[in-house]
Parts: sequence; C-alpha cells; structure tokens
Amino acid sequence: MSPTSETVVTAADDAPSLDDALVGEAVLGVYRQMFAALARDSGAVVDDPELVDVAETLLAAFADAGEEGLTREQMRYVCRRYPAEVFDNRLRVLKGLGAVREVFPKPNQLRYRASFTSVVGLMFVRRMMLDGGQSEMHRLLALEQLNVADPRMTAEQARDGAEGLARAFRLWSVELITLTNGTIEELREQAPKLWGTEEILRRAERLHGAILRRWPELDRTCTDLRAAIYAYGDASRRAAARLSDSAGTTRNLTLLPPETWRTFARTASREELAAVLDGFVFDAPAPWHEPSTVVTAVEDGPRATPPRPAPPRPSTPDPGLSGDTGSDATAVERLRAVAEQVLRGRDRVAVEDVLDQDWPAARRVLADLQSAHLHPGLPYRLTWSDGLAVRPGGSPTWISPGVFERTPPSGPRANGGTAP
Amino acid sequence: MTVDPHVLARARARVLGVVSADASAPVPSGLTGASDGTRVWLLPQWPDGATPALLEEYDTAPMPLDRPGQQRRVLAAALRCCWTKLDDAPWPGGEAPVIDVLEVYAGMSRGDADLARRWATGELRRLSDTGWLLLDETAGTVRPGPRVALWREESLASLRDLLRRLPQPVREDAPHE
Repeated sequence: MSPTSETVVTAADDAPSLDDALVGEAVLGVYRQMFAALARDSGAVVDDPELVDVAETLLAAFADAGEEGLTREQMRYVCRRYPAEVFDNRLRVLKGLGAVREVFPKPNQLRYRASFTSVVGLMFVRRMMLDGGQSEMHRLLALEQLNVADPRMTAEQARDGAEGLARAFRLWSVELITLTNGTIEELREQAPKLWGTEEILRRAERLHGAILRRWPELDRTCTDLRAAIYAYGDASRRAAARLSDSAGTTRNLTLLPPETWRTFARTASREELAAVLDGFVFDAPAPWHEPSTVVTAVEDGPRATPPRPAPPRPSTPDPGLSGDTGSDATAVERLRAVAEQVLRGRDRVAVEDVLDQDWPAARRVLADLQSAHLHPGLPYRLTWSDGLAVRPGGSPTWISPGVFERTPPSGPRANGGTAP
Repeated sequence: MTVDPHVLARARARVLGVVSADASAPVPSGLTGASDGTRVWLLPQWPDGATPALLEEYDTAPMPLDRPGQQRRVLAAALRCCWTKLDDAPWPGGEAPVIDVLEVYAGMSRGDADLARRWATGELRRLSDTGWLLLDETAGTVRPGPRVALWREESLASLRDLLRRLPQPVREDAPHE
C-alpha cells in the first residue's frame, strides 16, 4: 500500500474537522471551475455542443475586456448569436460553478470577471476531443521527464507520477483490448485515437529508466509502470494486427476507402490479384442437374413459337379427305350427259315433251334440268312462260309451258372454258 | 511425412473439382470413377445410391445456381447432340460440334439468336467447369461430362422422351461466321 492511501485511512479515522471541510471545498472549487464550461447545470454535463461554444465565446470576451471585466449587458451583446434563454442558463451555471464571478464579492455587483482555471480546463477539453488523449499522454510524459530531471523533485512525487502514468496506460490498454475483441467497424473507428506509436512507448520507457536510476527504492512502482507500458504495447500491436488481418481477408470492403480498392484492382498484376485468394480451398459442391429438372427446365423455358393448342381430332381413325369433295367434275359431267340426252342434238326442247312419262321419272329429269340451269359452268337454260295447261288424264296433270335450251357460248351464263 | 496416396487423391479430387486420371490409376475409396476407356474421372459417391436431388425432399436448399433453367436447357441441347443413341447410357456418349449445340439452343429459345448463342457459350463453359460436359474449345467439340454417369438409369426415361422431341441440329442454314 502506498503512503497516500494510509494517510487517507488515518484521516478517515479521525473526526472530520472544519479545516478538512475547508480543504475539501477548495479542491471542489477548482474542479468546478475547470469543468464549468462542460456543465449543463450544477449536476450534469452538457448535452449540446453549442452550450460549450457559448462558454468559449464568453471566456474569449473576458480575455479581451481586461481587468475591467464585463457587465451583464456586454456579455449578452457578445453572445447575441445565441437565444436569450440559452445565454441566461449558461451564465447562471457558470456563475454557480465559479467560472464567472463578481469583480468584488458584494451585493448588486454589475461587473464580472472570468476564472483562469476554466479557460485552461476548456483548452484541455478541446485538445482531448481533438486527439483522444494521445497527445495529452505525450505532453504528460514530456512533463514528467522534466520533473524527474528537476533537483527539487522528491521520491514521493516521482512515485505519484509513475503510479498515475501506470494507471493511465493500464486503462488505455484495457480500452484497446475491449475494442480489439469487439466489432471490426468499431475498432477501425476508434483505434487510431487509442493505439500507441513507438514514440510514446519509447518515451515512457525512457521516463521509467530515469525514475529507476534516480530513485532505486521505487523499483516496485517502476515494475508496475513497466508492466503497464508493455501491456499497452501488446494491446496496441494486437489491435493493429486485427485491423490489418481483417482488411486483408474480409469481404467488408469499407475497411479501406473505395478508391484504394479500385486503384489496387486496376494496378495490380495478375499474380497479385491471384495472391488474394492464396490459402483458400474451394470445396463447393458442384451443382446437380437431375434429369427431371432438365426436362422441367426445357418445358418451362421460353419457346421459339408460342405454344398453340392442336385442333381436336375424332377418336375414331381418320380416313382422310374424301376424294369427291372440293371438285364437282363428276356432277357436272352427269348433268351435261342428262342435258344432252334431253336435247338430243337440238338447241331447244319444250319441257312438256320431256316430261311425258310417269311422274317419278319425270320429276328426276326436271330436277336435273333445273340443276343444269342453275349451274354456272353449264351452257343450258330453263325458261318458263305464263300460262297453265291442265291435262286431266295426263302425267303430270298440269304444266306450264317451258323451254330447255342451249345457251350460246357468248351468252351471259356461259363461263368460257366449259362451253362446248 | 508420408501421405496415403488414396487420401491425397481424394483431397485433390475435392479441391480441384472433377479431375481425370489415367484409366489404370486406382480409384480411392469414397469416390467413384467414371471411365471412358482411356481416362477415369473421380466423382463423389453418395451413400445408398442417393443423389443430391434428395435434398429437395428434405427442403434443403441445393447448391445455389445462377439461371439454373438456362444452364439446364443448354445441357439438354448439348445432350441432344452428343447422346445420339438414346437407348444407351448417356455416358460416355459421342462428340458433337459446339456449333450444333448452339444452334439447337438458339432454336429452343426465343429472341435474338446471336444473344442466345453467346449465353449458351457461357453456360457450356460453366457446365464444363463443373464436370457436366467435356468442352474442347480449341477443337470446338463437346461431349457429355463424367457427371452424367451418376444419373440413375430409372430416372432417364423422361429425359429420353424430351430429347426425342427436341429438334435436330440443322447444319445447312447455320452458317457460323
């Protein structure tokens, strides 16, 4: 145990005195002033970066104003960019924490001055925001180096300094290790602010050597510091290795800027591109084409011609087209034969002469003559005239006089080729 | 350290895909060989005569495939040309000019015939990579791949029917520039 913690223990054993309370209050005052710029109210930290800007503007205005300080109206004028309620809130908090205080502590004081501590605190905070404590660590190490060389430095102070540094390094490496085990995206985002450079490690080791040379009795503290430094170095190397590993093998192309990948793909040689997959064994199963899936694919595929349903077929065997449809040559020949038989070489014949037989035969002849008359390809004509001859004993029993005649080839009913 | 040559051969076959060896080379256990007389191709062997088509019955996703329909149609077109004696087994089949296969495929598909030929060329290469066809690009010929030897005889009936229905490759009106 260090002597510091022993004194704490003994102080806690005694009843707290008014002096202790006073010392504690002074320490708290410094803390409050330091972080007044970051306070939302006396109990919490700001939740809007703009509030810090208000404080900074105010502190800059105080620096310009000199020893006169600023009145409330002047402060309001300086902060005219910000809404009135924001400004009032900031001023109240800053006053409450002691960052802005009256020039003289008396009632109805009009002029205010700013605390130097707050400005330094704000500078520190801004620097931390910029580079996440790394350069702060550089500064601390450089400062500590100077202190160690200072002849007024005591062993106690050196021990405190070394312990503080060891603690910082430990926390630092813990954070890095947590990140290293986390997601790669987070590591990529955060690690550059955290991981160490060779420079920091060298500086820390040099400081450690200087302390150990000057105060050999601090060897235990120095061992702690050394272990912390090495742990930090390891964590930092591991984070870097994880990041470079994942950049090499990951499919997450966001680990490097797109332009880098593009440039690599364009400029790399064939061997370099092939080397990306060195060490990979591809054992993917080959695709399988089952015969039935091949059949399905062909049948479902787009076709050259859209499928058209076949016309329905009779279930009985189809004898095919019959020979006598489509051409009425035989019918024409029969009609012509009948007509020539009726005419017997003459050009015209009276219908009643043709029909002087029994009615069943006569009506067949009449039907044939009518067909020959109506057939457009045959040169015959059947014309009826008015009148009606009644023949009570004859067959048929009545008849209109009519003529069956051959039409001339140039006649309106003669159709060229078929005319005799 | 010596490695059992059978183990080595099996590892090679797994990593390199379908590899061929001299017909006299022994076939390591766990693999089956498809031989055409002079060469032997090492292929995976499944228990109980099952094929990967069994995956479908178990609702397991098979090997994912880009445009499986097109690839299978090209395979069908290639088989139409190579597997001419349909009563025999498809393996080893015979060689056929690639042009014929492209023509058959172009006849099967709709749209731009040149585009269909280009698609089919790509699919022929993919089928050749996976051992479904043996493509000889310098000679311009194609023959069935050793993997068709894994088809079971009783599953081939519908494929035979289909290939009988597919149009013949038409050589005369297919000038290939």
